[in-house]
Amino acid sequence: MVDRHEELRGLSTLPAAPVPTRGTGERVALAIVWLVVAVPPCLWLASQQAPEAVVATVRSATAILVSVLLWGLLGAALAALLLPPVPAWFRLKLDALRRSLGSDRSPLLRALGELQHFASAQRHCEVGRLALSRGEHSLALPHLIAALELDPRAPATHHQLGLTLFALGHLPHAAHCFANAEALDPGHAFGDALLYAARCADLLDQHEAALAGFERHEQRHGGGYKSRYWHALALDGAGQTLAASNLLRAIAARPERRLSPEENWFRSLARLRSWSRRRA
Amino acid sequence: MKDLWQKADEIPVTLLVALAYLTLALLTGSFGMVADSHQLDAWGWLTPRDVAIGETWRLFSAAFLHGGLIHLVFNLSMLVSVGPALERTMGSVRFAILYLVSALGGHLAICLLYDELQPVIGGSGALFGMLGALLAWNMRSGRHLFAFLDFEGPRRLLGTIAVNLAIGFVIPFISNTGHIGGLLAGFVVTFWFLSPTRKLAASRRPWQVAFVALFLSLTLAAVQPVWRWDWLLHAASHATGERRVALQQALARSILVAPPAEISPGLAESVFAESEREMRDFDLQRRR
Repeated sequence: MVDRHEELRGLSTLPAAPVPTRGTGERVALAIVWLVVAVPPCLWLASQQAPEAVVATVRSATAILVSVLLWGLLGAALAALLLPPVPAWFRLKLDALRRSLGSDRSPLLRALGELQHFASAQRHCEVGRLALSRGEHSLALPHLIAALELDPRAPATHHQLGLTLFALGHLPHAAHCFANAEALDPGHAFGDALLYAARCADLLDQHEAALAGFERHEQRHGGGYKSRYWHALALDGAGQTLAASNLLRAIAARPERRLSPEENWFRSLARLRSWSRRRA
Repeated sequence: MKDLWQKADEIPVTLLVALAYLTLALLTGSFGMVADSHQLDAWGWLTPRDVAIGETWRLFSAAFLHGGLIHLVFNLSMLVSVGPALERTMGSVRFAILYLVSALGGHLAICLLYDELQPVIGGSGALFGMLGALLAWNMRSGRHLFAFLDFEGPRRLLGTIAVNLAIGFVIPFISNTGHIGGLLAGFVVTFWFLSPTRKLAASRRPWQVAFVALFLSLTLAAVQPVWRWDWLLHAASHATGERRVALQQALARSILVAPPAEISPGLAESVFAESEREMRDFDLQRRR
């Protein structure tokens, strides 16, 4: 069932995980600062040749900036009112920000320190899990592979490795890991391995396998917003548009309880898709 | 070098700043309810126009002047309550840098966003910089940036900042522009340059370079506001030939709301002459 050597051979062909770099948000913020830095020297240089043009430019730029700000605010307010994914996306990002600001690296560093004293599959897996939860995929990957080398029969390691590979976009390998986790421990992580295996299958255009996976997940673990939305996408991919529409409508229905940011996000996506279908 | 730094770190900067407040208050008559405005002007109050016409020393001098006894007592009490603890934590040299950069930050904001002829005085920009520094220091010292919100003392700091800003918005003759400028400058200089960090120094270097460049760039904008009528008037009166004509045209363009085609050289020259006469009268009245 789990061929350790085949597993490791497959993983060794993976392209190297990306080295963590400055985030896009930070790069954009830095670029904005440099843009502001450039303005006064440029104006000063331009004023040496054409002072009147500088006055006109500043006047126009101020007017444009004020208009852009006002219209931008108005547009954002309208988008927030009319487009369901906009507020849901903000809520999702806010939640991610809250979690990243509310967590620190010390458990990960402690786990790495413990690993130096004695390396075991469990400790490697713990480092991989903590790194994955912080989005440090390049750190998680080698530790999860090492954990798998030491103990290829641990479903949690397969699951965590699958999530890491899924996040890095290595879908065939991720699907293999999820299938292994599910085979070693049916219903592992409350069906999360099964759900991701089905999602991988759908993304790899294996729609029938994906549908079977989603149906099994729903039967065994009940459907959540994420699983039902992915199920609807798989139905769509398999050409069952009517069933997909019905499912999307069911997801988009008004909820009876307060949803988590992730559930809210998938519901808003379903609402948008359902709405665009009705228009089409 | 290390010895020199250690010796410099023993200078009681808060005490020196407080003494400077008191000495200048004595010289400018700020122990009365309202200070003598001529004295304040002579000792270095700040108007954006003064900086634009070359009196850049006012960017620092205004941070030690006060407009009357209430202003002085309020700022002095704030300095004495926040300064010593912050100075002990950061060290005297860093504290002195913080005070000067915050004062400069507040005054740059005033130069760029305030009425060109409105005089401004007071150390409150620098004092807000200290509050920003406390905030930055707390953010840098915890397990993560917002760990300080778990503690009541640092949480009260946010309340203090909010209340002081609210007071500034409510009372008309308080310049909140300077307060916010000082707060931001104090926060930035402490967060990126003066506070301890567990991250590698290299990870904040791009930000440090960017902020130094931003500070220099904004200083250039405050000292040479090439789009503003006061700078154009000053520059035109010191220029000759074609440059003078071009500056006069720009001045007319900045004052008059008219299409460029309607601003003839003759009109531009008369606008310049009129503006120059008005400013001469204004300066005479100010010194009288």
